[in-house]
Formats: sequence, C-alpha cells, structure tokens
Amino acid sequence: MPKLKGFNSEDRYNFLLALVGYLGHRTEVSLSEVAEHFELESDYILKALRSLNDATAQVGGFEEWPFYVDIDLLDDGIVSLTTAEVIDDVPRLSTRQAAAISAGLSYLATIPEFAGNTQVQGLIEKIAAGSSRGMAEVISIAPGSVEAGADQLRQAILAGRAISCEYINRKGEKTKREIDPLRIDLTGGVWYLRGYCPVNQGVRNFLIEHMRAIELLDREISSAAQAVGEIEDATYVAEVSDTVVTVEVTPEAYRLITEFQTVSEPKDVGSGTIRSEIMVGHLPNIGRLIARYGGAARVIAPEEAKDYVRRYALAALGESAQTEAREIE
Amino acid sequence: MAKEETWKPAKTDKSERLFQLTCVLLYSERGLTKRELFHAVDAYRNDLQSAGEDDFALNKKFERDKSDLREMGIQVTSPDPKSDPDEMRYQIASDTFAWPENIEFDAQQLQLLNLAAQVWAQASLSADANRGLVRLKGLGIEPAANDLVGFAPRLRTHEPSFIPLSQAIEERIEVSFDYRKPDGELSKRHVQPWLLRNIDGQWLLMCWDKYQKSARNFLLKRIVSKVVFRTEQINEKENELVRFALPDPELVAVAIKDLDEHTSKQVATLRVKRDTPAWFHFHLDDQSGDTADVSISFMDLHLLAEELSEYALDLKVLGPQELTKVIRSRFEAVANAHA
Repeated sequence: MPKLKGFNSEDRYNFLLALVGYLGHRTEVSLSEVAEHFELESDYILKALRSLNDATAQVGGFEEWPFYVDIDLLDDGIVSLTTAEVIDDVPRLSTRQAAAISAGLSYLATIPEFAGNTQVQGLIEKIAAGSSRGMAEVISIAPGSVEAGADQLRQAILAGRAISCEYINRKGEKTKREIDPLRIDLTGGVWYLRGYCPVNQGVRNFLIEHMRAIELLDREISSAAQAVGEIEDATYVAEVSDTVVTVEVTPEAYRLITEFQTVSEPKDVGSGTIRSEIMVGHLPNIGRLIARYGGAARVIAPEEAKDYVRRYALAALGESAQTEAREIE
Repeated sequence: MAKEETWKPAKTDKSERLFQLTCVLLYSERGLTKRELFHAVDAYRNDLQSAGEDDFALNKKFERDKSDLREMGIQVTSPDPKSDPDEMRYQIASDTFAWPENIEFDAQQLQLLNLAAQVWAQASLSADANRGLVRLKGLGIEPAANDLVGFAPRLRTHEPSFIPLSQAIEERIEVSFDYRKPDGELSKRHVQPWLLRNIDGQWLLMCWDKYQKSARNFLLKRIVSKVVFRTEQINEKENELVRFALPDPELVAVAIKDLDEHTSKQVATLRVKRDTPAWFHFHLDDQSGDTADVSISFMDLHLLAEELSEYALDLKVLGPQELTKVIRSRFEAVANAHA
C-alpha cells in the first residue's frame, strides 16, 4: 500500500497520472471514496486536485488548461473532473513496475498456498501485456519447500482464534504453549509465525519448523493481541532490554544488518566494509548469529559479545565445551 | 529519499514539473523541440530566464526528466531521431496510455496483485511495485475483502547490487563488477546480465560472461564493488551505454537447466543429533535412534557450509570431506577475528 510518509516526487507524479485516469471514467465521485480507493488521506487528494487545476501548458503561444475539477462541487465533497484534455486513461505500467509486480506474483506461485491458484499465472501474463514495452523475465524464483502446519496456522489467523502447540526451543526442550497467531512470514525460505505470547506479553517470532501438535483453541485471540497494530517486517525486533552490539560486515554478510533493526545509520568504513550497531535480545545468541558468516561479520564491541562468538566458534571446532544456554525463541 | 508528508507547492516540485512536461508533450501532435519545451514548461522557462545563455544545467535537467519519464513507462520518443539535437522533436508514444484490449482485473485479482506488490520488503522493488499498484487502482477496481490477511510472504534483497542489476537486465546494458570468490580471490567481471534468480533465499545473477565467453552464475552477496554500467566513447565528447541484444531464450533455459543439474549432482550427507534444531530443520521427526543420517543436494559448497554453521553443534558431516574442511576453516576465521 502506498504510504504517504514515503511518497516522493516520482510517487506523486505517478499518482497524478493514475488519479486523472481514474476520475476520467467517472462523472462524479465523493472525495472520501477517492481517498478510500487509493488508501490516501482526503487532504492529500484535495491537494492533488488543486495541482490538476493549476496545471497549465504553453502550446503554440497559447496557454492551455488541460484539467478542470469543479470547485463548487468539491466544496460539497464531490469530485468531478469536467475537463481532461490530454489524458483519458491511466498510463500502462513501466517495465520496472511490471517486473516488480510480476516477480511478486511468481513468488506467490512458488508458495503452496497459491500453487493451485490458476489466477496467478494468468495475472503474470496480463501484467506483462499491460506494461509499456512488453517484458522479458527479469526475476525468477525457484520454488521452496512447504512448512507443515503453516496451513493450519493460517486458518487460525483467519478465524481469529488462539492456538496451542508444543514448541521446541533451541536447547531441544519441549514446552506446551498458547499463542495468539497474527501473521505468517515467509522470508529467505524460512517460515515464521508472528504471534502474541500471553506469557511474555508481546509479539514473538516462532520458527514454524519448531512447532508440533498445533491445535485450534476455542477462544478468540486476546484483546491485547487484537490491539497489536502493524507488525514490523524485521525478523528481530529490538526491545529496551536488548544489548547494543557494534559489528563490521563485508558484502558477504550484509544480510546480518538488514535482518536486524540497526540503531545507527550503517557507516561505510572503506573497501565495502560497513560498521553498524545492532540490537541483540539474548546475548549468548550472538555466537551462532555471527559465526554463520565465517569471518565476514565481526563483533567490535562489547567485549562480552566478542567472547560469546569466539567461544561458539571454538566449541564448533571441538576445542572447548559449549556451556552457554542458547536462545529460547 | 526525502520523507515528505505534504504536497509541495506547485512549480517548485519535480512531480509538478514532470506532470507539466507530460501534458505539454501530449498536447503537441507533431512533437516539440527542446527549445519549445523550455518555453512551455514553467520550471524550465524560469531556469532559462535566470541562467541566460548558459543552459548547460537546464539541458542536463531536461535529460534527467526525460529519463525519469521513460523509467516510469511514459515513452518519450522522437519521430526524427537522426536530426540535429536542437532540431529534434519529442513526443509521447501514442500507446503509452492505451491498455491492450481485454486487460481487465476483477476484485479478487486486484487483491492478489496487492499481496504480490507487498512481497517486496523495503529498499528493494517495493516503490516500483506500489506505483504499479496505484496505476492498477486507477483503472477503477476495488480489491476484494481481505481474506489474504495473516500471510506476509516477503522477498528480501540484502545486496546493494540488486537494483542496478535489475535495471541493467531491463535495459540490456552491459555491466562490470568485482567478484570475490569464497577463497578470497578477487576478479573483475564484465557481463551481459540476463536474469536474477532466487534460490532458497539466495539471489543469483545469471549472465553471459564476456571474458569467459560462457553463461555464468554469480551470487549477489559475493559482488563486492558497485555495479558499473559500461559505456563506450562514441565521439570526442560523448559516451554511450553499451547495450546487448535480447539473449536467446534457449541459451537461458540451458543455463538454468545446467545449474539445476549441477545442484542435484552435489550431495552432502549429515549425521544429525536427535531433538536438536538441526533435527527439526531437516524434519526428522519420524526417525528413531539417537541420530539420523540425512542426504541433501546443494548448489554451492560454501553456501551450504554457511547454512550448516548454524547447526554446527548438532550434526557431523559424513561427506564430502571438502565440506568438513570448509566448515572448519570458516570457524577458524571466526575465532581468529574475535581473538
């Protein structure tokens, strides 16, 4: 969805074109309906309409006014574009727009949820036809594997019901959990459940591959869970109790800083190496997180975090016993 | 990207300028010369007045605007491309606003398109996907009630090379970049980019390598320099982007098949400890015993080593030996970096 906050001038230009095309097919429409349709604020639509009325074009020595939105009707909250001289439809998609949407669709097609959905392939073809220059494939996505249980969780989310399950933590301990499921995330081939945990009183990530014996409960998700707004996309969401860890990464490990919420703007420290501060919930976890990058990610501070990483690596090499408890969730 | 919450006043903002430029071009039937456009668009005219004779900056601005329009799918063309730059006329291709027949979307389809657009996490193609969605909405369809909630598939692009490479593929521009192999060997690559592939969450560039003269795959995470669009000098003053012809689809299909075959041939065998994260990761629930052996095929030994590092304490590599060696040397590098 377009978010006004991130709207830059290209977005505004694009919106003006789409708005003219949209209004061109309607005689009258209420301002609130336009706002709702584009999921933008009425105020923003009003400003865009004023821009249309202000637009002029000097053509062959004459001043032309390509658009006229009825001002009197607008006062009553009715939008009526009575003149639209040069644009009578929405422009076709740009190659990039078509490629982005079509790759999104291809990605959906690789997910079992949509695998049987004949609409998806049809849509990919339509989007290609609707782009301005035709389109060769730019991005392709290989199908991944399904996570058992994901379908059941989705049903629970749609029904607004809580679930119970056995959850196996990283130490291999099974615990019986109740979770108010909110969203299923599939990212980098890994399936997560984002759910409200009544014990921790907050949204937590659960690895779906660690969930067993999932059952739908009779109760609805709690009011606290319902009150959770939009969930951040970042896999690791920082909390006050988190430790700030300074890391340096080379391109091979950029993923580390895009997956975390960084505290400060990542800083280029030369030859592709980036320094950044990340928030880590359970510090002993840092060993496993950093070690996977095989030296491409390096902890600078604090000393305690460096220790965890070194000890984890030595344990993996069989040179010392791994004694630290590992992350629960 | 600046965050602007309000509509900027007319005539100072780029969106107004681009919009006016579009309208002016659409008005003209035989196209307009640059000079005519400089007088017809308010922002250009103002620049012209304040700049006097030196319109170098204005020319540059115009070139940028033109390429912005093209990037947004507004096809600025020239009916007489061979004419002198000052005489050249510009117009907008007539089919820019004409959707092909029978391209209609229903409410359910718009909902799927909506989800498809959201697949792109921030800082990747999300801006383009959302702009496309705004256009589709402009066609007037209301999305169906949201029964796709609760599901958020996301494609992440961690690599800064992703955007320039996707652009180079669309525009068929040759690129060069520095590539670092896992052993640290750094080399300059010069390629014709064909396709970006996502395999198990890893982004790969499939391309024609101009030095090796063969189809090659490069992992985006191992591209360690900026992606440079290649240019060549066409006359004393100007450079032009080096473009290439649309690749033969058969050649691309063969390259895809080659990689898939290569992957299926490479197999690693692991002995996994019961009830560890690795045990669950490899879905070994119905196995009995304290350990279970599992065989997996892999695309790249070092990528597999990276994935397995996460489970280093939960499993033993039975083969190939090379994998054991790579995992060891990775952990040695970690230990040294944190000594």
